[in-house]
Amino acid sequence: MTVTLTSPASVSRRQVKVRRRPDQVRSRLAAWIAVVVIGLFGMLPVYWLVATAFTPDDKAFSFPPSLFPTEITFDHFANLARNEQLFGYLVNSVIVSVVTAVLSVVVSAYMAYAFSKFRYRGRRSLMHLVLASQMFPQALLLVTLYAVFSASGLLGSYTALILSFTTFTLPLCVWMLKGIFDTVPSSLMEAAAIDGASRLRTLHQIALPLAAPGLVAAGLFAFVRAWNDFVFALTLTDPDRQTLPPGLVHTYLGEFQTAWPDLMAASFVVSLPVIAAFMFLQRYLVGGLTAGAVKG
Amino acid sequence: MTTMNRRDALRMLGLSTLGATALAACAPDASGGGAPKGDTAAKTFGFTSWSLNEEAQKGAVQAIVDAYATAKQVKVHTASFPYNEYLNQVTLKLRGGQVSGAIQLDISWLGALAAMGKLRDLSPQAAKGGYTEVARSSGQFDGKQLGLPWTTGSIGLIANTDLLKKAGVDGLPSTVEEFEAALGKVGKLGGGVVPYAAATKAAQLKDILPWMQTFGSPLLNGEEIAVGDDASVAAVEWYKKLYDAKLIAPDVDRFDARALFAQGKAAFYDDAIIARGVVSSQAPDKTLTEKMAPLARPVLKAGDTPRALLWGHVIVVVDGEGADAAADFASFATSDTATVAGFFEKVKLPPTTTAGLADPKVAGDTFTTDWTEKITKTATPNPFWRYAGYAQIESTIAEQVQAVLVGQSSAKEALAKAAETAKGLQK
Amino acid sequence: MNARKLSDGQFAWLLMIPGLALFLAIIAYPLVAALVTGFFEQSLVRPGRAFVGLANFADVLGGDFWPVLRNTLVFTIGATLIPFVVGYALALALNAGIRGSGFLRGLFLFPWVIPGVVVSFLWLWIFNANYGVLNGVLTQAGFIETTVSWLGQPVTAMIAVIVTKTWASFPWMMVMLLAGLQTMPKELHEAASVDGAGAVRRFRSVTLPHMKGIAGIVLLLEFIWNFQHFDTIYVLTGGGPAGSTKTFAVAVYDTAFKGFDLGHATALGGLWMLLLLVLVAFYLRRETKESS
Repeated sequence: MTVTLTSPASVSRRQVKVRRRPDQVRSRLAAWIAVVVIGLFGMLPVYWLVATAFTPDDKAFSFPPSLFPTEITFDHFANLARNEQLFGYLVNSVIVSVVTAVLSVVVSAYMAYAFSKFRYRGRRSLMHLVLASQMFPQALLLVTLYAVFSASGLLGSYTALILSFTTFTLPLCVWMLKGIFDTVPSSLMEAAAIDGASRLRTLHQIALPLAAPGLVAAGLFAFVRAWNDFVFALTLTDPDRQTLPPGLVHTYLGEFQTAWPDLMAASFVVSLPVIAAFMFLQRYLVGGLTAGAVKG
Repeated sequence: MTTMNRRDALRMLGLSTLGATALAACAPDASGGGAPKGDTAAKTFGFTSWSLNEEAQKGAVQAIVDAYATAKQVKVHTASFPYNEYLNQVTLKLRGGQVSGAIQLDISWLGALAAMGKLRDLSPQAAKGGYTEVARSSGQFDGKQLGLPWTTGSIGLIANTDLLKKAGVDGLPSTVEEFEAALGKVGKLGGGVVPYAAATKAAQLKDILPWMQTFGSPLLNGEEIAVGDDASVAAVEWYKKLYDAKLIAPDVDRFDARALFAQGKAAFYDDAIIARGVVSSQAPDKTLTEKMAPLARPVLKAGDTPRALLWGHVIVVVDGEGADAAADFASFATSDTATVAGFFEKVKLPPTTTAGLADPKVAGDTFTTDWTEKITKTATPNPFWRYAGYAQIESTIAEQVQAVLVGQSSAKEALAKAAETAKGLQK
Repeated sequence: MNARKLSDGQFAWLLMIPGLALFLAIIAYPLVAALVTGFFEQSLVRPGRAFVGLANFADVLGGDFWPVLRNTLVFTIGATLIPFVVGYALALALNAGIRGSGFLRGLFLFPWVIPGVVVSFLWLWIFNANYGVLNGVLTQAGFIETTVSWLGQPVTAMIAVIVTKTWASFPWMMVMLLAGLQTMPKELHEAASVDGAGAVRRFRSVTLPHMKGIAGIVLLLEFIWNFQHFDTIYVLTGGGPAGSTKTFAVAVYDTAFKGFDLGHATALGGLWMLLLLVLVAFYLRRETKESS
């Protein structure tokens, strides 16, 4: 069975119209309880992050802490705005994550297409190898990658970081995109072939547009994994080209570990771009992620 | 051994030069782009320092850098990592040829970095700097002068006399017994006060070493690890006793301890002489620094010599690009009398030159003279410093002591295990 | 176009060249090279290396390996199952036809898209022994008398890292599971309730079988990721106290990049890899079943 990407809102609206029976009322009550309990677990820490970011330093160290700020300050955000380094980390993160996402999607799209639509010798074992490489320990790869980049003089460059991120984004993207291409009916391609289109044209003009939501999803996923990576960035970057995760750790995890409000303000600000991107794109993400997985 | 090192050093140097060239060729982005090509070697160099990451010292260190840059018309490219990540990051970056110029180091790290064979011999600068003998020797490793001493002091105990008074403790304890009794009294104050904010996180658990010495362990006997002897076991058992009685708290490192102390929530803690500057920058109570008193580490029997570990910063210089300028900067930062006296005024780190120490700003400061008299006078270097694997030896011991504190292992067993692992790291 | 002259197989290989080249260069080669290093005594900071046979493996097996394995398994299983249960419960709830479930789903994604290091910082602050809000709330509510050092004791430290990882992972599991639930034909449920099946019965006989595929994928992926998870543990506990939260990822990293001992690090990593082969076999069987 293929998947139609229904937006969840329309699903729930349809469900609301169903006449309510007693056990439905009960289950709806249970549902609300679950939403509230998990909601507290999910949202209270976010609230605490934001609240701390606006708390004056001396209040942050009172114990027990007051759950509702009695005094609000924007000092920490002002400090942040003065911190040029942090802005540099942000720029690095954007550059590295975007390039990683684009590179991974482009390269894996061709690979996934080959895995999905052609049958040839060595296909199965190769496919398994690539997919299984998602499990290869990053920390172990890192030992060699560090040595290789160091010997080739790439250590500390964007290139080194992007290549190292690709170690985990490539298998993931291949896996996701193969799932997507599997849902594109082969009959469409056969029809194109009968019309005289070359295989490459069929791929570019028929398969890729159909898989576009999946490509976006895979790209997003790769972007997020790259954006969040810590261990490679910690080891392979130099001080000027650090991405946000090691940058934040290196800015705040020493003496400034005691500067919690500043740290929370920085955390809040660097999370915003990703959150915003997700608000816009979550529809694709869900569709792309589940296309491969939900086959009934 | 030495010749081997030198050859290795040359090989690594070649490799890193190659790496640096390739890096410059392949990565045409950002990084210190402003200066014109050609005479960059003389006009720019790097300075890596963890102090630039610490609120209390950041401004003062930056001021030295700026003053030098203006006076000599050079560009100093600064970088920093937090203290607890510093050795790791600097080693990675140094091996990869990503740091050059001057580097601030804790004297305990000199061995580890010297093993890489990339540091310049700074004997000429050391000879004309006017450093005290003790200070100069803190920058030596394996017979070579690899670092210029920036500050030399010790790690000692600091008390909050106000809290002690509140708890009814008269005077500062001088024996372990009195110390324990004082902690007990402070513990009764309640209100989240940690009587002794001793380091219990792995990063600074090395603070237990002078206690082991206090209990009579030499730590290292010739080449044989003495951790695990009866005295060191007794020290760890004593620590465990304090831990169980909640007189010391879990999950505390130097930074947590400073925060606790600054908030008036710790009666004692271990820190370097830097303590006063740090605490005053964090404390809401601006009079707290007047209530801080350094004390000699309590001894087992009255009359014993109090134990303390030497502590200090040195500046080393990476051989290669910009090394001459960086060495000149290191010399300026550590031995220019006006600079070191001014630095002292801001951060209370004692200078390393005879002239600097004689400066009225320094000589007239009672906290510092007190500290020198009570703590630094009997301080000794950590015997493990001479091993390149020093950091690992220390973290092995730290991890095993932690295992005792959390009740996973007995002191005897844990230290025996630590000694066993440490043996493999003595190189 | 000369591509036309190629057979399908040749064309497919052509498509795979960039991916394959990348794969060989940055995954396959580094992995093999790292595994080989396990047989050498090699330092990160000194040049040269010496072949030592199986000595590193023997050292590791006699030392860190077993506690690290135990920690890794406890963390991985805990941080996979708990968010799965939370995410599943939430998915079922959001699928029960409550108002605004689309909006709620978006809101719940929050913790997942916050960068991992930030998540760790946040919980580091929450769990802080002296000023943390968790201790604050618990003491005020009277559950505990004195503050608890969550990250300073082995058991609570492990719980803390699992809770943190749960918080960061449950949202995406929820999204996947919810998508699965939404593709379930409504008629199935209706038919079952006409037959008189209660809610529990319907869940067991209709929902569960339908969700088997997606639940398996979600669990598998999360398991794989947790098995080599690094950030949360590194930032929250650094593997401590007393090594009680030291997992393979942290142990290999520390040995290689803090202890500079590449031989022992890669030996430990090699043993870790060996264990993974079991997982890989499981994964492959699954993939094979699906693609057939």
